[in-house]
Amino acid sequence: MRIKGKSLRHALVVLLLLSGPTLAFELDDLQDRLNQTETLEGRFEQQRYLADLDTRLKSTGHFLYERDARMVWVLETPIEDRLVFTAENAADSLDEKAGAGSDRQRQQVGTLLLQLLQGDWHALQERFTLDVSGTNEAWQVTLEPKAKALRQRFTRIELKGADYLDNIALYAANEDVLRVRFFDQRPFDPSAAEAGNDPER
Amino acid sequence: MTLSAEPQSKRMATLLRLFAWLWALVLLGCVLGLAWLVRDGLPVDTRLTAMLPEDHQSPLIEQANVQLGRGFEDRFVLLLSSPNLKADTQALARALGDAGKHEGQDTPLLAKIDWRDTDLIDSDPRQALGRYRYRLLTPELQHIIDQDGGESLIEPALRNLFSPTGQPDPVADPFGLLERWLDARDESPVQARNGLLTVTLQGNPHAMLIGDLAGSPYDIGAQQAMTRTLKDFEQDHPQATLLRSGLIFHAAAGARQAQREITTIGLGAFIGLVAILLLVFRSPWVLAQMMLPLACGLLLALPVTLMLFGRLHLMTLAFGASLIGIAIDYALHLQCDRAVHGRDFRLGRLLPGLTLGLVSSLLAYLAQTLTPMPGLRQMATFAALGLLGAWLSVVLWLPRMRLPSPAATRRLAEGLWRWTTPRRGLTPSIALVGLLICSALIGWQLTSDDSLRLLNPSPETLLDQERQVQQALGSDTGNRYLLVTATDEAALLSRLATLGDTLGDWIDEGLPLRITNLADSVPPLGVQQESLARVKRLYGQPLKALVQQAGLDDKVVERARTRLEDAPVLDVATWLDSPLGNSQRRLWLGEPESEPETQESVRIAAALLVQFTGEDGQASALEQRLTALAGNDDDVIYVNRVARIGELLGQLRKNIVWWVAAAVMALSLLLIWRYGQNTWRVLTPPLGALLGTLTLFALIGIPLNVFSQLGLLLVLGIGLDAGIFSVEHGSRASTWLAISLSTLTSLLAFGLLTFSATPALHYLGLSCLIGLAMVWCLVPWVRPSREHA
Repeated sequence: MRIKGKSLRHALVVLLLLSGPTLAFELDDLQDRLNQTETLEGRFEQQRYLADLDTRLKSTGHFLYERDARMVWVLETPIEDRLVFTAENAADSLDEKAGAGSDRQRQQVGTLLLQLLQGDWHALQERFTLDVSGTNEAWQVTLEPKAKALRQRFTRIELKGADYLDNIALYAANEDVLRVRFFDQRPFDPSAAEAGNDPER
Repeated sequence: MTLSAEPQSKRMATLLRLFAWLWALVLLGCVLGLAWLVRDGLPVDTRLTAMLPEDHQSPLIEQANVQLGRGFEDRFVLLLSSPNLKADTQALARALGDAGKHEGQDTPLLAKIDWRDTDLIDSDPRQALGRYRYRLLTPELQHIIDQDGGESLIEPALRNLFSPTGQPDPVADPFGLLERWLDARDESPVQARNGLLTVTLQGNPHAMLIGDLAGSPYDIGAQQAMTRTLKDFEQDHPQATLLRSGLIFHAAAGARQAQREITTIGLGAFIGLVAILLLVFRSPWVLAQMMLPLACGLLLALPVTLMLFGRLHLMTLAFGASLIGIAIDYALHLQCDRAVHGRDFRLGRLLPGLTLGLVSSLLAYLAQTLTPMPGLRQMATFAALGLLGAWLSVVLWLPRMRLPSPAATRRLAEGLWRWTTPRRGLTPSIALVGLLICSALIGWQLTSDDSLRLLNPSPETLLDQERQVQQALGSDTGNRYLLVTATDEAALLSRLATLGDTLGDWIDEGLPLRITNLADSVPPLGVQQESLARVKRLYGQPLKALVQQAGLDDKVVERARTRLEDAPVLDVATWLDSPLGNSQRRLWLGEPESEPETQESVRIAAALLVQFTGEDGQASALEQRLTALAGNDDDVIYVNRVARIGELLGQLRKNIVWWVAAAVMALSLLLIWRYGQNTWRVLTPPLGALLGTLTLFALIGIPLNVFSQLGLLLVLGIGLDAGIFSVEHGSRASTWLAISLSTLTSLLAFGLLTFSATPALHYLGLSCLIGLAMVWCLVPWVRPSREHA
């Protein structure tokens, strides 16, 4: 995560991306804001819209997030499951026997999710054009894939938040939509504060 | 007598003058032609593989070889390890992408470079194969459904529906059958990590960069741009290490070495030659005259060879330097005779010897043009043309030029004559005994080596890097394969599947193998039917349970079941057209272009790749098993490409022996017609040197290979020249001086190749070094005491 040092370049990139002079809120502000969060825990509500069946699949659970380390995703209803995403290894499901860990596409989706949750714009900008709008209190980022191969899977991703990231909406090319709402979010485990606030670390 | 001879010789002189002018015109034409041909630079080919024979034995194997090798030539792979992996990979990718762009050249070095984790994502394979999924089950799934009807597949299917990373499709594929099947197809060790493509080598992540060259890997400009770019990168990033794999690196190493050797060995030979000629003839003018025929020979050979072959092989140019050694013979004989005899010099007396010398050398070279190696054919053509050009210049032009005949040359010739003439000559009976002893030793002890190693000049470090990269990627260059033929696709697939099962058993036994089998991707019809039956079972109770537990509408069950009704059978063409199947196209030979009469028995063919992953020592046992496996079945051929090339080289070596033996027999008849009882004196220097060299090889234990044999061909040519001249003008000191100078200059030109690091050139040089020395030693012992009448 070497981001602070390149903030100038990032600002330039964002300037080019945004049209119009009303530049109220920048990716860097958002980056700084999200980077202040060392750890986070909370609950989520996931809703998957299946366009073909015109059906919504709902699930709920809780999550733990440690910046630059991992994200633990615990599904509680309607079934129980536990997924761990780490920075190095995208998806590490406890379920080994089904061979789910070998799925390349799933791994890539896992990496993407982790990058979205951390607000890892530096990595995301390589693959997406980013569009940021709103204010400090209500911001919104829209990501559109650059590569044709990726566009065949997602048309766009929308992020919304305030202090933390509150909503993700992932629009698949087949018109399915995955929406995740995060709530009751708060930092946990004070011992993690030792790492300090320096974003270079 | 004198009256009638006078006008005839006058007419002859006029004719010769006319020919001399005509030859000048031809050369002028050559200059113009050459200028036109090289207007865009000299088209040089540095491929060592151009030396390789084409496989004419089996068109099917040849087709398979071409197809399996395709795609490897223009591609290269770099593995980078560094503490700053991401930044360094970006820097390297940028440097490679920019290479060749800002150097006044319009063409960039690369057509494409892949290094980001998104670069290798093709279009979704699920779209192309979606309709076939109900007939494609992994062996694991087949087993699960056979055991519990698929009950245990409900839970993972549910998780896929509710996990954020899942991509569920409850109607088309509620159990994610296709995803599992595609996962099993994808054996690539490449992982997406931190936005990069990485592979793990000895526990360390390495970033992978895959480049497609814009031009040929043999293009010298591209090689230099590549070398420079990587060198600059390594200098700027000392903490990074690079592993290279790709033909361009080997070609660059080979070309660098060849160029280095042309400048050191070629230049060394040239300087030595000039020094010797100046020492003997004491006149720069004579030197210039000696060089004139060489220049003319090159002038004839270059444009005509270019016209015939389109481009020049670097090996041909290397031999252009060596051509000096032989073509100078004619000029030497003429000049020595002139220097020693002064005003008494007559061309007519030398002409039979000169002509026979040319004919014998041309015979030796033309025998090489009959070989199936394109590079060798070109080399032989080039040499033959060069000799012809030089000979014409010597005969038509040199006698017209006035030159000093220094007393020093005469003294030198006489001194050499006295110093080297043995008291007694060799008798035919002693020569015969020597011949028998040598033949016995050769037959008893001489071994041969036809391995491909001889053609590979790559340095050990590069070969080691290549091995590491291949190992990390698990890539198969298609060296070993089983070639399977059948009358139709269904029969071929089931044959492939049976072979795959056998090889699978071997792997279970612990044999270190990796196989790439088309029948794993396109199961035979029977297997596809069984899979569909299993899926129907899975879509009974288990599907109902899944839909209920997920809280989906009951209609989903019916909609899903309807899909099974018209599930098509996956055929090879459909698979090969899909994004994943593209990489297996090289395995499919379809309907081979066979002879009309054999078309009845063979309709289609495919290759099953077998990659050996164990130690070299175990390879021979595997070879035997594979050969035995293929031997059981007429429709299966086991091919080992490297071994096969070695086999072809061996065949080539034997063919050359027969061609040359035939040429020597024909020549012997010609010699008997002219020299009668003295023929053995002509043949002893060349054949004695040949046998002597082979005997020495046999005694020391150096195996004979195709290149040392080519060297012996040159020894034969030069030895014949020496034998012919020594019998024609045996008692003349000038002839002996010419023969000595000729063997010495050839020793310089060819013998110095012994010091080449390219095995091919080294062996050629070594046999020339020994053989030519023997020619020189043998001539004094067999020359007749009288001039040939």
